[in-house]
Amino acid sequence: MLRNIFLKTFYEHRRGLLWWALGLLAYAAMIIGFYPAMDQMPDINQMLEMLPKELMAAFVGGLTDMSSPVGYLNSQIFFLMGPLLLIIFAIGQGSAGLAGEEERGTLDLLLANPVSRARVVAEKLAALITMTLALAAALWAGLAIGAPLVKMEIATGRLIEATLGSALLALVFGVLALALGAATGNRSLSVGVTSALAVGAYRLNAMSAAITALEPYRILSPFHYATGADPLANGLNWVHTVVLAALVVVFAAAALFMFRRRDLAV
Amino acid sequence: MNNIIHTSQLTKSYGKARGVLALDLAVRPGEVFGYLGPNGAGKTTTIRTLLDFIRPTSGSAAVVGLDSRRDSIAIRRRAGYLPGELSLYEGLTGRDFLRYMANLRGGVAWRAVEGLAERLGASLTQPIRTLSHGNKQKLGLVQAFMHQPELLILDEPTQGLDPLVQQEFYRMIAEARAAGRTVFLSSHVLPEVEKTCDRVGIIRGGRLVAVEEVASLKAKALRRLEIRFAASVPPAAFAGLPGVRDLQVENSSLRCTVTGSLDAVIKAAAEFEVLDLTSQEPSLEEIFLAYYA
Repeated sequence: MLRNIFLKTFYEHRRGLLWWALGLLAYAAMIIGFYPAMDQMPDINQMLEMLPKELMAAFVGGLTDMSSPVGYLNSQIFFLMGPLLLIIFAIGQGSAGLAGEEERGTLDLLLANPVSRARVVAEKLAALITMTLALAAALWAGLAIGAPLVKMEIATGRLIEATLGSALLALVFGVLALALGAATGNRSLSVGVTSALAVGAYRLNAMSAAITALEPYRILSPFHYATGADPLANGLNWVHTVVLAALVVVFAAAALFMFRRRDLAV
Repeated sequence: MNNIIHTSQLTKSYGKARGVLALDLAVRPGEVFGYLGPNGAGKTTTIRTLLDFIRPTSGSAAVVGLDSRRDSIAIRRRAGYLPGELSLYEGLTGRDFLRYMANLRGGVAWRAVEGLAERLGASLTQPIRTLSHGNKQKLGLVQAFMHQPELLILDEPTQGLDPLVQQEFYRMIAEARAAGRTVFLSSHVLPEVEKTCDRVGIIRGGRLVAVEEVASLKAKALRRLEIRFAASVPPAAFAGLPGVRDLQVENSSLRCTVTGSLDAVIKAAAEFEVLDLTSQEPSLEEIFLAYYA
C-alpha cells in the first residue's frame, strides 16, 4: 500500500473512506426504506403543486413528481443530496491533495525523491477520481440492493448512469479544489472558494427552473449538466457528460500547469 | 576539478527581506562543507533552490554537474536531503514512512534502512505523531542516508538530537566523507561545524560573507572565560597575557575574552585557589561582529 503516491493516499484515507462509504450506503438504504410510505400517498404530488414554485425550486428544481420511483429518487437523492455529499467529499480530498501536503510541510520530503511535480499531481488526481467513484459505487449499491426489497421498479442501468452523473459533477468541484490548492498552496482558500462556487452553481440551476429571468444563465451551472437532462429517466446526455468531463480536464490541466511553475512553501 | 555544488550569482528575492543575493558558492567533491549563518540568513532558501523547490530570481545553480532547474529529477536521484523544518506523515509508523520513501526512490536496500535506523535508535513501530522531535529527526536522517547518495544536503541536521545520537551522526558524516561522498550541511551553531566540516561558508543577510578552512577558523577561536577564586586576586597577575582581552578582575572573580589558546590564562590562574571555571563559546553573532562585520 506504500508503493506509490496514489496507493499511499488511499492507505492514509482508508478509515475516512470506509466511513463515508458506509454513510452513503446507509443514506441510500434509508431513502429506499421510506419509499413504500411515500408510494401510499398518491396525494403527495397534488400537495407539492400547492406549494409556491419558487420555494420548491430551491430544493428540487422543477421536480413535481414525488411518487414515481424516478421522481422520488431524483427529489431525494439525485437532484441535491447525492451530488452534495459527493461534492463535499471531493472538495475535501481535492484541497488536501496538494495544498494539504504543502501546508503540513511534507511536500519537501515527498519531492526529495526523484519524482516530478507532474507525477505528484497525476497521482493525487488519480486518487481523487478513484475515491470519488468508489463512494458513488457505494451510493449506487445501496440503491440497487435496496430497491428490489421494497419492490421499487427502477432500471439498474439508469441508476448507474445517474450515479455517474453525480460523481462527475462532484469531480468538477473536487478537481477545481485540487487546482486552487496547486496554484496557491492554501487549503482553506481552496475549500472556501470551491464550496461557495458549488453552492452558487446549485442555486443558479435550481432557481432557474422557477425564475424565467435566470433561465438563460442556467448553462453556466455544472449542476445543469449533471441533472438537467434527468439521467435517471433518460440516461446520460452525452453532450452534458462531455461538458462535465471537459471541465474536469481543464481544471486538471490548470492544476498541473500551476503546480509546476510555482515556488513551493516550506 | 568540477564542483559538486556550484552557484553563479544565484539570487532569490522575496519582496524586501529574506532571500539570497548574488551567491557564488562552490562545494568540492568529497568535502564536508558547513553552511553557517544565523536563522533567517538564507540557508534554507539556498538549499531549496538547489533542489528546485523554489526557483532563482536570477543566476543559476549546478548540482552534481547538472542544472538545478532542467535536471532536477536526476539531481534528486543522486542526492539525499534532510529538510530544515521536518514534517513527516503523522499517521504512518516510522517503518511505513521509510518504506514509502524507499519505494518512491527505488533501488534502496531495506537492510540499509534497518541498519541506519538501528544505529540512530529510531523507533519504527510507533505512529509518527507519538514521537518526540528528536525521534522524528532520526527518521529524517535515515531517509536522507538510506540510498548512500553521492551528495548529502542536510538542513540543520542535529536539531533536537540528544548528544549521544549527535555523536553517532558525526560518525556517519565522517564515514560518508571517508567513502568519498560530499556533505553540504547547514547550521547556526559554530562548534558543530568545527567538529564535522572541512570548510565553512558563512552567510549573513543573504550574502556569502566568507568561505574558510575550518582550521583557520579555529585559529580565530574566541572564548569568554570566567574564573572564581577562593580569595581576591591581584589584577596585575593577569594583565598582558597573550590573547587576553576585555580583562575584568573584581575581588575574587575574573572575566575576560581569549583568542586562540587558553594556556597562558590557565597557568596564571593555577597560582591561586580556583573554585570554578566556565568557558563559553561566543555566539555566532559575536563572531560575525568580531571578524566579518
